[in-house]
Amino acid sequence: MPDAVKSIWEQNATPRHRIQWCPGCGDFAVLNALKAALTTLELTPSEVLLVGGIGCSGQIRNYLNGNSFYGTHGGALAYALGAKMANPELTVIALAGDGDTLAIGVENFVHISRRDPDITLLIMDNGVYGLTKGQDSPSAGLGKPVGVSVEEHPPMLDPVKLALTCGATFVAQSFSGDPKHTTEMLVEAVRHKGFALVNDFSPCVTYNKFNTYDWFRAHCEPVPASHDPAGEDAAWDLIRDFERRDKLPTGVIYRHPRTKAPAKRLPMSTTELEKVDLEPMLQGLR
Amino acid sequence: MKVNRMKLLVGGVQLRDGVSTITDLFGRILSRAGLQVMGLERGFASTIYGAHQYDPLVITDGPALSWGDEAIDILVGLDYDVNPDVPEQPNRDTILRHGRNLVDGGVLLYDSSTGPVPVEKLEARGVRVFPIPARQIAQRDLKKEVVKNVVMTGALFRLLEFDSDERWLRRLLEERFGRKGPELVNLNLEAARRGRAAVESVLTERGWPGIGYRLTPVPQPAPAVYIAGNEALVIGAIEAGVRFYAGYPITPASSILEFMERHVPRYGGRALQGSNERESIRAALGASAAGAVSMIGTSGPGLSLKVEEFGVSGVTETPLVIVDAMRAGPSTGMPTKSEQGDLFLVTGGGHGEIPRIVLAPSTIEECYSLIHEAVRLAEIYQCPVFFLTDLNLSEGRITVPESLLRAGRPPVKRQVATEDQVREERYLRYRVTDTGISPRLIPGTRGGVSKMNSTEHDEFGFVTTDPAKRVAMMDKRMRKMATYLQRDARPPQVYGTVGKGLVLVGWGSTKPALLEAQQRLKAEGLSVTVVHFTHLWPFPTHLVKPLLVAGERVIVCEHNYMGQLAEIIQAHCLIPTRRVLKYNGRPFYPSEVVRAVHEVARNGATAVRLGGKEPVMVEVSSDA
Repeated sequence: MPDAVKSIWEQNATPRHRIQWCPGCGDFAVLNALKAALTTLELTPSEVLLVGGIGCSGQIRNYLNGNSFYGTHGGALAYALGAKMANPELTVIALAGDGDTLAIGVENFVHISRRDPDITLLIMDNGVYGLTKGQDSPSAGLGKPVGVSVEEHPPMLDPVKLALTCGATFVAQSFSGDPKHTTEMLVEAVRHKGFALVNDFSPCVTYNKFNTYDWFRAHCEPVPASHDPAGEDAAWDLIRDFERRDKLPTGVIYRHPRTKAPAKRLPMSTTELEKVDLEPMLQGLR
Repeated sequence: MKVNRMKLLVGGVQLRDGVSTITDLFGRILSRAGLQVMGLERGFASTIYGAHQYDPLVITDGPALSWGDEAIDILVGLDYDVNPDVPEQPNRDTILRHGRNLVDGGVLLYDSSTGPVPVEKLEARGVRVFPIPARQIAQRDLKKEVVKNVVMTGALFRLLEFDSDERWLRRLLEERFGRKGPELVNLNLEAARRGRAAVESVLTERGWPGIGYRLTPVPQPAPAVYIAGNEALVIGAIEAGVRFYAGYPITPASSILEFMERHVPRYGGRALQGSNERESIRAALGASAAGAVSMIGTSGPGLSLKVEEFGVSGVTETPLVIVDAMRAGPSTGMPTKSEQGDLFLVTGGGHGEIPRIVLAPSTIEECYSLIHEAVRLAEIYQCPVFFLTDLNLSEGRITVPESLLRAGRPPVKRQVATEDQVREERYLRYRVTDTGISPRLIPGTRGGVSKMNSTEHDEFGFVTTDPAKRVAMMDKRMRKMATYLQRDARPPQVYGTVGKGLVLVGWGSTKPALLEAQQRLKAEGLSVTVVHFTHLWPFPTHLVKPLLVAGERVIVCEHNYMGQLAEIIQAHCLIPTRRVLKYNGRPFYPSEVVRAVHEVARNGATAVRLGGKEPVMVEVSSDA
């Protein structure tokens, strides 16, 4: 990455020495991948809106340049939806964790997959609530066999399968131990015209002692070149096949080129609001 | 003979009997004829089908002060069969419920298709009874049951000696059904004629020359609309510049969403039906953050779910207009009954301290005019602006002259930084200023980035817990409220002379009843000033206190149990208040207010509760 370009994303950002992630956190690699992807996409910070979820992962919005919005736990996708509807020219990226997306924000994950707005969701998936010191998230238990479960610790919820079920049109998975691949996935996700999910395995070195870098290296396996992501059946077959073999697919699992009606940019700041003719609204009231 | 002055009530089984078909036809046709129709009290059932619904209309030829008391001049009962809700009362449910409110010498019209109803008691009071087999005429003679309401409308028009040449009805029918061919228009006109004939035969049989009530069109009526508060509010909001609206189905705010969905795309905007209450407010905040003038609407239960986002709007300083069409709570409460129980929720809801503004319109006209102010204040102060209406305003309808809606108000002026301004010095989303207002940058504007943050932050928008920075930021946000109080707060509306006699205080939809009560008290020789609030929060103590301390006693009238505005007044103005409270789902009737004022003025009541089994319950406390 050329230094001159790299610096664009490092202006207006929390300096690296003040980043509040544990040394070795997978999110560092995600941050680099995100900057590299935005550079590849030739975007400028003012064209981007980063919407952070609550948790360690959501802090990423302040660690690089670009407009950002940070609201409530589980809300990132809904803010992103409204922002994109208001201004389709913005590149809107939601950056959240697995707890934020799959537990408290699962209502948004489900329905925004269905709505298919042209936004990207990057989940930094580590199986725990890191910022509150390591409680289980819905993706906890990844790779552990489900024998007897109890209500307090149910089996894991797979965001990839959930997204497919709910109608997401782009579903990809990556591992932050391979940031080049994460970058590629992000670039493809942002380019996709519709809701794009990148589930990135981003290990929590402090609280998840099971899903470690080594564990992910042993379990992640690229989607085979022969896989046709345009077919939904093929996507499900691929997921089942990897599950049977106790592996995690990385790459584009599903991509459906759904046609979307072009959205209009709402009248905004640059255009002064215009005086309007109320007659059409009065017609039905007489 | 009463001409152009009456209260009419139509009742029947909801959905089945088409109560609002008749009141809608009446409202529209009479508004066109230059009369004033007020349908502010709407008796919906909280189910879709099967329960009793009633819809009173006050018809006048000048603006009516209020919806009046419960007394009705003309009662129309549409029940043709057993009301599933009360099976023991075949086709007389409406009469049993409302007959006692008929004035002596009033008129009763009812659907007699399933037999006569015993009405001796009413007739003994001089009520003229017209059994009209409307459903039978529609079903048997016209082969179309649905026109039974037009039969009834025709009957009513004949009773009131209105539209004898079918001019008004024909024109409305042609506009509605003309495109589908003349058959439908003719069928409906025939139905109306049958209704007329049915009335005619009763008049002849009983030898009555008329009924003592008449409607006469005003010569050369000015154009008017018959409009609900929710519709007026949408028109005002779009005119002010709202281009993004999000809602979730909830009574009585759903019609805002429906009206927005129908109209805002025409003006380049979008309306979103959220998947839940939280998605709708969050999407609206996202849209506002991205630069659209945004609004949401809901009612109490929905607002409770959105409380978390009040703080997001306040701390990220993202403007948002939040309409709360209040209904009776708590929890699911009485979904189709009105109340004013959410004042504490909007002034205090949410953890932490949030800068916010609360406005409340008191009439349908103000739903239109004041929403403009709400949008403007949100744009300037970059915080949640609550707009408190209630079911009576939202779903109630009234005749409004079109000239009021055609004043041609300009949209609000956008308060956003331009690229040049941003480039002058490093852009700080939360720049500390004297007014507390920081320049807002819309993402996408070149030259800077906007770091909008719900975590406590520094001027740029980065997270901080630094004590000094925290204080600076909290003070900056709250300073906006001081700026608001200085520049934009408005005193309550005052009717009467300040400092003379009793002060009757209200807010929201109660104003018409308070003004009518004031007139009646004046006629009795009791001097009363009405002080009615529109700008509720931040509480404009400096503007309010002089009005209240001057009077003898402050009596606050509210539709809630506690007296929420009364509590706020006591806390801010340090003066005692007396309270008149009603929370039975029905609006204040002027006669009740008069009685309650007497209880306070003569008997020293500290609180008067209206509308229970004992219609007036008086509390006297020694420490007041």
